[in-house]
Amino acid sequence: MSSPVLQAEGLSKRYGRREALTDCTLAIPPGRVVGLVGPNGAGKTTLLHIAVGLLSPTAGSIEVLGAHPASGPAQLAKVGFVAQDAPTYAGLSIADHLRFGAHTNPGWDQQVADDRISKLGLDPSQKAGKLSGGQRAQLALTIAIAKRPELLILDEPVASLDPLARREFLQGLMAYIAEHEASVILASHLISDLERVCDYLIVLVASRVRVAGEVEDLLASHYRLTGARRDPADLPPGAEVIEESHTDRQSTLIVHSTTPIDDASFTVEQITLEDLVLAYMSQVTDPLPALETTR
Amino acid sequence: MIWFTWRQFRTQTWITIGALATIGVLLVIFAWNIEDMYTALNVAACQGDCTAVIDNFLSQFQASNHTIYDLAQMMVYAVPALIGVFWGAPLIARELEAGTHRLVWNQSVTRTRWLATKLVIVGGAAAVSAGLLSWAVTTSSNRIDDATGDRITPLFYGARGIVPIGYAIFAFTLGVTLGMLIRRTVPAMAATLAIYSFAAYSMQEWVREHLVSASHVINPLDISSPHTVTISVGEANEMTVGVPDNLPDAWVLSNQTITDTGQVFSMPADSQYCGLAASAQACDEWLGSLGLRHELIYHPANHFWPLQWAETGMLLAIAALLAAFCFWWTRRHLT
Repeated sequence: MSSPVLQAEGLSKRYGRREALTDCTLAIPPGRVVGLVGPNGAGKTTLLHIAVGLLSPTAGSIEVLGAHPASGPAQLAKVGFVAQDAPTYAGLSIADHLRFGAHTNPGWDQQVADDRISKLGLDPSQKAGKLSGGQRAQLALTIAIAKRPELLILDEPVASLDPLARREFLQGLMAYIAEHEASVILASHLISDLERVCDYLIVLVASRVRVAGEVEDLLASHYRLTGARRDPADLPPGAEVIEESHTDRQSTLIVHSTTPIDDASFTVEQITLEDLVLAYMSQVTDPLPALETTR
Repeated sequence: MIWFTWRQFRTQTWITIGALATIGVLLVIFAWNIEDMYTALNVAACQGDCTAVIDNFLSQFQASNHTIYDLAQMMVYAVPALIGVFWGAPLIARELEAGTHRLVWNQSVTRTRWLATKLVIVGGAAAVSAGLLSWAVTTSSNRIDDATGDRITPLFYGARGIVPIGYAIFAFTLGVTLGMLIRRTVPAMAATLAIYSFAAYSMQEWVREHLVSASHVINPLDISSPHTVTISVGEANEMTVGVPDNLPDAWVLSNQTITDTGQVFSMPADSQYCGLAASAQACDEWLGSLGLRHELIYHPANHFWPLQWAETGMLLAIAALLAAFCFWWTRRHLT
């Protein structure tokens, strides 16, 4: 099965004159853990809400697992979603939440739910309103996981958590993915949250997709060039400058190139995922069309 | 979804059952006392002209402790408003406010089914609550309503029969709709109370009388029957004639004396016939010569059920439109 889990064509969402998402074209292959990274307000939540059918796009089309988002009970059953801030019913207990999940999802796996709750050391009779932010996020993830979705979409799941809870949350998530081979889309404004777990990356800045692709391919096609100061325009063909910084004597460039850079006047280095994301995020002034890496 | 709706609505259900049971028990005791009084005063056994017996019964009732009767009467008016404010307005608004719609709409249940389940269960509970209360009040005040003949007059009519069910369902869907549009619980509750109160008042004040065409009677003014002549003091000396309607079991909408051309009779008194200087007999003779007529517009007692059905039907139709709008809006516009 290689049809994309999420395919978007020219997807846009406007609120009056404000563009929340502009001309987003994506094809996410199945079986990936996708990191959706971008600064706050870049449009991550808008994209995810369109993907789960909470929002409808102003223009463009989207298919999730081959169907229109939230088009019916079968489609809803295939997609698990944990919204930002992990909303739960404050007055209901953890056990009530699990019963709610069991009553509203035909594919509900009570075993998975019970195991996770007991592994987390949570008391099922405790009210959700009394849980810490991390525990609430874990409860929301438990509900999303126990419905056994093919695609799990998590909107800033760890943003409000302390480092320990972050690690526990991501560990729990990874354990599930390893066991059930689901696809996951994780949004965060910090790449460091996702660096260790994702193998596919989408960088969203100012409502536009800046780059999207397999992490491996991205790392193999981006370089940091350091050398004597020079005009970035006379780089070898095929190399595209993502970020440049200059001192009086020296130029540092981050470039994208599908072929290895062979230029003796530069020191060529591989870059980290974090540097790559930061380079794309700082590229805001340049309204380049979205760049997709070749696979 | 059914279990979950019940789980969210459980506390309100127990409170409602408790309140209804309390009022029910008190009304049963009240009805027993009234029945005793009714038997003791031989109202049932009365034949022929029973005015005195009935008046005696009513004055005994007025002298007795009838707090629960008054309270239950008020409750029938209050319950639909309470249902709209406490069940209707928070139904969607609380989910939107807490963000839990993003949780519940991402389980394997469509929004349409989610809303349908909530509307049917909570709306059904609203109908049953209002219906039971109205039935208890209607039944327990049957003897009194028979004696007063006031069943069809607005204040009592609204707390009898099936209209309270219509008001409860209307108030509920109004609350749901406003909560959905306002998206915040407390403002939605306030808006529901304000709009519902205005709608209920308008219905009683301006709409109800037109739901069934009223009886319209015009008779020549019989000057020998009791009537009152009013002459205003001052320059204008305006004179009007009032005639009692003699319709004890009716809801009188209009009762006036009109001229032979159909105008309301009101003219400066001719001091030659009517006034302090002239005798009442002279005035009557002069009035009798003017060809005046007495016009009555009213709903007789047998309009009670046609009015109840028409009004309930109208309220249910509005509620159905509001519910349809809620379905459309949750599918298209709610995020």
